[in-house]
Amino acid sequence: MSKHNKLYPFSINILTNTLVLATSALISVTSFAQQASPCIGASLPLTGAAAFGGEAIAMGAEIAIAEINAKGGVLGKKLSLKAYDDAGQPPKGVDNVRRIALSDNCIAMLGGYHSGVQLAMRDTVAQVGIPYVGTTAGATAIIEQENGQNKWMFRVSAKDKWVAQFLVEQAVSRSKNKKVALLYENTGWGNGGKPDVEAAMKAKGLNLVALETFNWNDVDMTPQLLRVKNAGADSVIIWALDREGNQILRGMDKISYRPDNIVAAWGLAGNLGEIAGKLANGVLVFQTYIWTGKLDAKGEDVWKKLQAKYNLKTPQDIKFGSGIANSYDAVYILAQAIEKAGSFDRTKVRDAFYEINYDGLVAKYQPAFEKTQERHDAILPKYYKISAWHDGKLLPLSETPYK
Amino acid sequence: MSSIVQYFLSGISIGAIYSLIGLGFSIMWSASRAVNFAYGDVVMLGAVLTVIFVGYGIPLIISMPIAVFVCIVYGVLIERFAVAPFTKEVTGIGWMLSTIGIGIMLESFVTISFGSFAKPLVTPLIEKPIIILGAGIYPQELLIPIFAVTFLFCLELFYQKTLIGRAIKAVAYNQMAAGLMGINVKLMTAISFGIAAALGGGIGILIAPIVQASATMGLLLGLKGFAIAIIAGITNARGVVIMGLVYGIMEKFIEGFISSSAREAIGFSVIILLLFIFPQGIFGKKEMVKV
Amino acid sequence: MNQRFFNTYIFWLTICLFLAIILIPNIINNAYQLRVLMLLLIYAVVALGLNLVVGLAGLVSLGQAGLLAIGAYTAAILATRFGFEFIPSMLVAMFITGIFGVILAYPTLRVKGVYLAVITIAFGIVVENIAIEWSSVTGGTTGISSIPKIALFGHSLNDTAFYYLIGTIFLIAFIAHYNIKNSRFGRSMRAATQSEIAVRSIGINPITARTLAFTLAAIFTGVAGALYAYLNSYVNPDTFRFLDSLRYLLMVILGGSGTVLGPLIGASILTYIPELFQKFGVWQYFAYGALLTLVIFIMPLGIVGTIIFWYNKFQPKRVCNSKPWPTTEPLVDALINQNKDKNNASLSIEKMTVKFGGLIANNNITEDIKSGSIHAIIGPNGAGKSTFLNCISGLYKPTGGTIFFDEKNIVGLPMHSLAKMGIARTFQNTELFSQMTVLENVLVGFHTQYKTGLIATLMRLPSFIKEEKEFHELAKALLRYVGLDEYADEEARNLPFGHQRRLEIARALAISPKILMLDEPAAGLTHSEIEDLKRFIISLSDKNITIVLVEHHVEMIMALSNTVTVLDYGIVIASGAPSQVQENPAVIEAYFGSPGVTNE
Repeated sequence: MSKHNKLYPFSINILTNTLVLATSALISVTSFAQQASPCIGASLPLTGAAAFGGEAIAMGAEIAIAEINAKGGVLGKKLSLKAYDDAGQPPKGVDNVRRIALSDNCIAMLGGYHSGVQLAMRDTVAQVGIPYVGTTAGATAIIEQENGQNKWMFRVSAKDKWVAQFLVEQAVSRSKNKKVALLYENTGWGNGGKPDVEAAMKAKGLNLVALETFNWNDVDMTPQLLRVKNAGADSVIIWALDREGNQILRGMDKISYRPDNIVAAWGLAGNLGEIAGKLANGVLVFQTYIWTGKLDAKGEDVWKKLQAKYNLKTPQDIKFGSGIANSYDAVYILAQAIEKAGSFDRTKVRDAFYEINYDGLVAKYQPAFEKTQERHDAILPKYYKISAWHDGKLLPLSETPYK
Repeated sequence: MSSIVQYFLSGISIGAIYSLIGLGFSIMWSASRAVNFAYGDVVMLGAVLTVIFVGYGIPLIISMPIAVFVCIVYGVLIERFAVAPFTKEVTGIGWMLSTIGIGIMLESFVTISFGSFAKPLVTPLIEKPIIILGAGIYPQELLIPIFAVTFLFCLELFYQKTLIGRAIKAVAYNQMAAGLMGINVKLMTAISFGIAAALGGGIGILIAPIVQASATMGLLLGLKGFAIAIIAGITNARGVVIMGLVYGIMEKFIEGFISSSAREAIGFSVIILLLFIFPQGIFGKKEMVKV
Repeated sequence: MNQRFFNTYIFWLTICLFLAIILIPNIINNAYQLRVLMLLLIYAVVALGLNLVVGLAGLVSLGQAGLLAIGAYTAAILATRFGFEFIPSMLVAMFITGIFGVILAYPTLRVKGVYLAVITIAFGIVVENIAIEWSSVTGGTTGISSIPKIALFGHSLNDTAFYYLIGTIFLIAFIAHYNIKNSRFGRSMRAATQSEIAVRSIGINPITARTLAFTLAAIFTGVAGALYAYLNSYVNPDTFRFLDSLRYLLMVILGGSGTVLGPLIGASILTYIPELFQKFGVWQYFAYGALLTLVIFIMPLGIVGTIIFWYNKFQPKRVCNSKPWPTTEPLVDALINQNKDKNNASLSIEKMTVKFGGLIANNNITEDIKSGSIHAIIGPNGAGKSTFLNCISGLYKPTGGTIFFDEKNIVGLPMHSLAKMGIARTFQNTELFSQMTVLENVLVGFHTQYKTGLIATLMRLPSFIKEEKEFHELAKALLRYVGLDEYADEEARNLPFGHQRRLEIARALAISPKILMLDEPAAGLTHSEIEDLKRFIISLSDKNITIVLVEHHVEMIMALSNTVTVLDYGIVIASGAPSQVQENPAVIEAYFGSPGVTNE
């Protein structure tokens, strides 16, 4: 029957036709415009468990943009922030890069919170060619890339390699028996920090006596902590977020083990004091910027603006202060680079990065960046700060009774 | 030796959480062969509401029952509007997706209003740990398995001795026959879901001091609790409670002797394996089909 | 829907899709939008595979993200560590993911519905965690990056060429999906969902159908995974979580589970929705949950499903008439005629006992069912007739005793094996494939007799087309034989009750049975329908088919049967010629409680 022969199209004939047609159709990709728009893109966790991080980055950026625009903007144009959600998922981050660069045609973009996402973005940022300024995610490999070819990615934030050295220094210098242990979360961030800490220890001629990991939402860390206790560590480095940090402290309490020194990466800079209570007292936490305690004039000024715009009562209300400060400085550096470049041309702006000197919240950037992979990170270790939890407040170490 | 005791103690604490959540699923399933797939979010709701009320200065003693009450209302509404319309379908996709969808909405709403940060619920029971044979555990943590066994006991009494309880059991055995006997099946199902929701809210309040209240606290717990209920044989309440405790202890021993990171991979593989061997659950009953 | 119309529609649809895929890059000049489109097509391939599992086989899988991960990681590892080219790495990815599809199908042996869903969820979580822990192979939480661009025939593909490659693969998947759906494989999957027991009774093992569905879905997902890895040039565990599995399921449901176009529509909407929802800022996840809930409540059939539903509703109602049966149909005669000499279709039942817990339903029954005879089983309610029938047809396994058919002890053999040996049956509660058409119901019966296999079906080889045509003709002939040819395109559940019975018998005949067992075929029939039935049974017997008849209509029994066996309380109380049995006092007592008058 003739109608049944309609089934014939689905035979291999048409399939081979399609294949031939497809592979012989080659159209060149359109090149992107030379002049970009005065928007700053950002891929941030707007939703999900890390929403507080995305929020912080957006806050810092928006305050900075408002200040810049109030003074007339950049090259006569007003800046705007285009923040897209990546919910901590690498593919979304990768898509956001393209959206920002090709669809919105922004002049540059800010990096986000999750190291895993930024790592995924590297290839795309290089492919597309857009200046990227990280604001939080600290994994060393984001900036110091394995192929040594990083041309577009910069960072105004902590570098985990340096953070590790900083924390190791803090731990070892305080340790009496030089037995140091590391507790790290089983995520991109934690797994990235681990080799950095190991390397930093090795540089001091030491080894970690215990290396334990845990998952997000874990409730009880006693098995890991028993091993740490048995290894005899008197100093512990913690690479975790507040929630797990609290479980660690309580776990220690349960097994009657309290190391003399606990130093932590900035994951414990949120509400550890609130949830762990007295157990948090004396825990030292790394930050790039501390909003509590005495602020300098610039900090005071920005704090007032934060208070007004986001309804914050005290600096304790800030969930991730380092992120706000990093992002603020990042936007200013970017704005100055655009001014210096004289046009909204991505390559020119990128080249201008190396010529920016800027007196920021976190540091005196002199210059912000240099032409080595290592120095695509703007914040040098000398500007790293140490804070301590005391009676529910996270204060600069000097303003607490701890040493 | 004290390590073993530690694994065991921590294990029954976390295991009791699984037991209770599994029990909630069991109560729902027995009533209508369908559950609120996002039951973990009911747990979250109980915890979050209590923290909010306490934050407003309402004493804990009063905050708790109010939170539980809201959970009951939430649970009954879910049953009426998101589960009941779909129970006639064979695949179960209807109520699975509807309850998941509502769970997503609740979770994101809580994230936006409550914040993504975990907030504490302070009770005197987490101030100092008790030391047993060299291992430490907070009284709050010990409270959970005690509560689990007590609740199970009360639940069984309820099913056996009260009229409503027996009516619910009848609905669980044979909905149509129960209806024909004059039992208001819809009401019994709604009550069951209400009980499960009350339990869920209670679990949230119980664990909030230990786990901290956050929008995402219920997700993995809910999944695990459901899986455990199923491998135990979801209609067998005692089996579910036992299975939860066993699973919790197993998790701790895996962490103790193998590694913490392997915990989920091994744990869920065990779940799959057990379901291969016991498709109706270990303590479950095989159902015969008549033609 | 009319098959012919549907075929034409599909043909033109494919042409349109083909053209759309070729033309689209010329319309959108945006490299970003092109990428979104590529992602869409990849997701559509996943959805097409999942549609086979959910839409056709009626199973819930919430673990597709795990399969996607396996495909993506395999391709990534082969490309970065072993320097595989694209095509080999994609093929290996397909193969390995396919194996996991077979593994995932195994639980469907024993569990369905929610239980299966939990297994698939657990599977997804196990895969995710292995990806995190086995860092030496998978790169752990950091993942695998710098996956090279695809190179075909020595040329590295740029974005547009890659797009065409994905488009081609999508079209192939789309066509393959249709070819499966509209074939005996698709029909048997759908039938297995609607009545597992009926499908066994015509020789199909539902597990095979489900395994096929899962394996095909896994292969589709494996390809999608490989493409995904190359597209992102990066894989890590965060991409393959439970929420992603949920999204793929939602694509299938939103588009229209079981439809041809549904997966593509669902994938399109759920790929563009996040783009749209970005403007909701922090509320976008909430909006997503709302969308999910809304879809389930308002459009459970999905977009395409709802359209089809309303389209069918507005079709003019055709009045169908049934014809007298049986009619003369040479094709059917050829099909069902059993050769008297070659055929030994007798059943020897020896000391068969069936216990349900403490209850003994059949107690030490010994009986012979002679080849070519009409053998009736009667008895009061609860005598064990249905149990008896269920045992000799393979539905139950007797607790003790033997049953010999064709010199083989068939005790313990599953029903579908017995069907293949030539034992067919109908059911007390008609077990039709209620949502399939009358014609399809019969067609499913021919499943085991097809010679063309999966490859021929997928590629629509001439041998397949020829066989489909032949069996379609045969099915129509069978429908004419039972007088139901006008109902061919009606859904089985819309048939009047008596016609449903006829259809069930027609389907049973499709397997060319040596023995046909009828379980209370006259129940619920009108007087004239019963007369038709009697004539029908006699005509079947004339073709040397052995008939086993469980019935209550004693008058019909006495008129038709060669032998009557009477059961009471699980034992045989009489067996022999109808006239003998009728006079037997034990029989009379069993029915009436005391020696008395015979019935009408």
